[in-house]
Amino acid sequence: MAFAVGIDLGTTNTVIAVVREGVAATLHDPEQGRLLPSVVSFHPSGSVLVGDRALDRRLIDAPNTIYSIKRLIGRPWDSPEVREAREKLPFELREGQKGGTLVVARGDTFSLPEISAFVLRQAKAIAESVIGEPVERAVITVPANFNDLQRAATKMAGRLSGFDVLRILNEPTAAALAYGPGVKANERVAIYDFGGGTFDVTLLDVAPNVFEVLATAGDSALGGDDIDVVIAERMADDLLKKHRFDARANRMAFGRLRILGERMKRELSSREDFEIAVNDMVGGDRGATVTWRFRMTRPELEWASLGIVERTFKVCQQALEAAAITASDLDRVILVGGVTRMPMVARKVQQFFLRPPVVRINPDEVVALGAAIQAGLLDRSKPRSAESNAHPRIDESSIIAHSSAEAPEWVVPSELPIVQSPIRAEPGRGSSTPDLPIVQSVRAEPGRGSSSPNLPIVQSPIRAEPGRGSSSPDLPIVHSVRADAGRGQRNQAPSRTTSESSESLTARGAAGPSAPYAEFLPRVPSKPLVFDVPETKSPPAVDRSAPSLPPPRPRLPRALASPSAEPSPLAVPPIAPLAVPPIAPPRTAEPQPARAAAVVSQRPRAPLLIDVTPLTLNVETVGGFCDMLIDANTPVPCDRTRTFATASDGQTTVRVRIAQGESKRFSENTFLGELELTGLTAAARGEAQIAVTFEIDVDGILNVRARDVKTGSETGARIELVGAQTEPAEIQAMHNRQAAHPIERASARGAPATRA
Amino acid sequence: MFLESLARKNYYDILRVSPDATPTAIKSAFHDFSLLYHPDSYVALPADVTAVAQAIFKRGVEAYRCLSRAPMRERYDRALARGRLRLDGSKPSSKPPPRVARTLETIAVTQRGRQFGRVADRLLAIGRLDEARVQLVSACQCEPNNEELSERLQILYEALALEPP
Repeated sequence: MAFAVGIDLGTTNTVIAVVREGVAATLHDPEQGRLLPSVVSFHPSGSVLVGDRALDRRLIDAPNTIYSIKRLIGRPWDSPEVREAREKLPFELREGQKGGTLVVARGDTFSLPEISAFVLRQAKAIAESVIGEPVERAVITVPANFNDLQRAATKMAGRLSGFDVLRILNEPTAAALAYGPGVKANERVAIYDFGGGTFDVTLLDVAPNVFEVLATAGDSALGGDDIDVVIAERMADDLLKKHRFDARANRMAFGRLRILGERMKRELSSREDFEIAVNDMVGGDRGATVTWRFRMTRPELEWASLGIVERTFKVCQQALEAAAITASDLDRVILVGGVTRMPMVARKVQQFFLRPPVVRINPDEVVALGAAIQAGLLDRSKPRSAESNAHPRIDESSIIAHSSAEAPEWVVPSELPIVQSPIRAEPGRGSSTPDLPIVQSVRAEPGRGSSSPNLPIVQSPIRAEPGRGSSSPDLPIVHSVRADAGRGQRNQAPSRTTSESSESLTARGAAGPSAPYAEFLPRVPSKPLVFDVPETKSPPAVDRSAPSLPPPRPRLPRALASPSAEPSPLAVPPIAPLAVPPIAPPRTAEPQPARAAAVVSQRPRAPLLIDVTPLTLNVETVGGFCDMLIDANTPVPCDRTRTFATASDGQTTVRVRIAQGESKRFSENTFLGELELTGLTAAARGEAQIAVTFEIDVDGILNVRARDVKTGSETGARIELVGAQTEPAEIQAMHNRQAAHPIERASARGAPATRA
Repeated sequence: MFLESLARKNYYDILRVSPDATPTAIKSAFHDFSLLYHPDSYVALPADVTAVAQAIFKRGVEAYRCLSRAPMRERYDRALARGRLRLDGSKPSSKPPPRVARTLETIAVTQRGRQFGRVADRLLAIGRLDEARVQLVSACQCEPNNEELSERLQILYEALALEPP
């Protein structure tokens, strides 16, 4: 039986999850961490490495190691993000046909969806090896504010990797689905999703059976990566001052600083200060090693990244205004995304939303888990049943548990893995991911942590951290062990800055109490939410009389002949639409055939997601202005029909330019492409009228149909999207390139390497 | 078929609310409507069934977007009173009435009608629609049999989103 999976294709990491037997859990390679780095490296031998092994090559083979491609996917060549990336990123970018962007590695040219396809293929292979069965269908998530080009490119990546893409799902909506409804009947929830490359905030109306997105706003060029850059800039200044070395002049050196900056950012989420020492950044006289030390304190980091974090709240304000509510109208705020581990972010979220944020599910994994839940609901291959429609639980390993008041002092468990698994000679990464569960705590598998890897392997002169074991792991609180941790339950201990120590990578300052989310984890075991109850409990009181009924048979044709008045919509939601043509004029009521309830599901039914399109769809009008076709935050699927007329006599083609964005000026919006209406009968100007229907489908992707108003027949309508690959020959070439580049999946334990 | 009956329904009928429903009632009705017609509820069913459900859902979205915002709902109520079931998104109040070859002055036949027509033309040209309306009403009163003039008045009323007399 093939499974449908959910995939969070992130800027920094990719996570894949699936629902099995009513439990949603992430799937990861047992030898690697819980997160798959979204990095692709083209090895000189011809094979392709994806994930941790590609990440290792970021420094040694920078021009052929591609990362952060999500920041560029779907963007035209002449956009500001691509221009900036051309200067900053160590690999080569090139302009493609139709104004798109291509990447060059090892002499081959790839479009950006192809790079993402490599990551997806690896994710697929991991999933198949863990589940043991083929995986063919997937729900892939995108940031909520991704435009049509970005969504179409992501869907293309999914297809290239061999998936039947069931849905392109918005990340905050996926997270909301993973959290499920709360205990209150109807809630207003805000999802604050601050990831590696993008920021989104989505406001939802959460009812037990329907999640309606009220408004969404975001910035697809604002993420944790920007904070890494800010730290890297400070490091570059420091290098210049101390050693007269200009790291900014060298893309590789600056890339190195970004990796170090990322490490610093993560450490300072659980420490008050941190120092790194690097030996090979700067050379001394006659080849002497020069050790460059850089120390940063948490207040310094907070000051440096304040501007970036403040930008997120401007976006939050836009969302509140679009939904016409205020922060106090919300009931819950949920944090998603690794950057929310920074104490300052959580604090500012509390200040803005006037309530402490909630974080119960691992912020790196929650999106994938929600996508997996949606995948289970949309899987066409299986018959729909009560079980498949029930809302799954979240696997324990992804839950950030609270700790009880009696739990002992927080103990860092990670000294053990270094001893246990000799393979993990790279303490930088290994310490955070004990592959072998530690015996005393069954669920002690800390998440791999916020993002990519700390430092490359032993040969790197960044000294291995012997003290790593004694320092906090990347994600101290993902441990959901009761016996473990009193982490997070104490208030902030005063920070202790100790005296200078020459030990490299020394962790100084308070660890546990300032761990991420320390202030927001409940001090006492929280009441279990509805879905945490044991299976034997009867379903909650919410009256949904037909969750367990078998899916309605398509009785549409027959129903036309003998319509019956339908009962009120609340009573029989899944049955009514097909049993009765609801739009037909009401006739005399015929009693519905009695339906014996089948096995009543113990778990409530999963909710329906009503998502929205994030950006306004515009056509260009006279003077360079915009005519708004479909407003932002309109529920999808939706459509709008607009009539166009010819401007000159005998015209057989009409061209209209289309964009997405909120500005009244067309040039300030994101240009999607030109709509070409063909096959018009030649007539006097203004005579030929074409009714064009613009439809935004449930993935948030635009489709266009056109009809001649007078004759009623369909005319040709095509959008030349910027940078999109639409020619069958082009698509075939992309498939061929995927096939020509096998992904290496060598097993570390000596098993024969399998090809993905 | 369904789609034909869809074309005969107004927004209130589609969402199954009364014309004086509160915003909360409209939202709740849209939720129920979505449970019935959102494509996700039709995952396991053949494509033609899904297509119909989707068409119905999209019309419901149009209705919901219109009725959930007070100013648009008011405009819709007025349009509905004039017999229009759907509301086009464009804002007629910001557009002047369509430019036509014949001026009001030429349409009017009597001298007084022409005078009013001339003033109305000038006012229309500079965009003062309301004052033009007053002039045109007077012109029509002078020439009750002039159908074309009355038609122009109708157009002007529509442009102003007012109820016809």
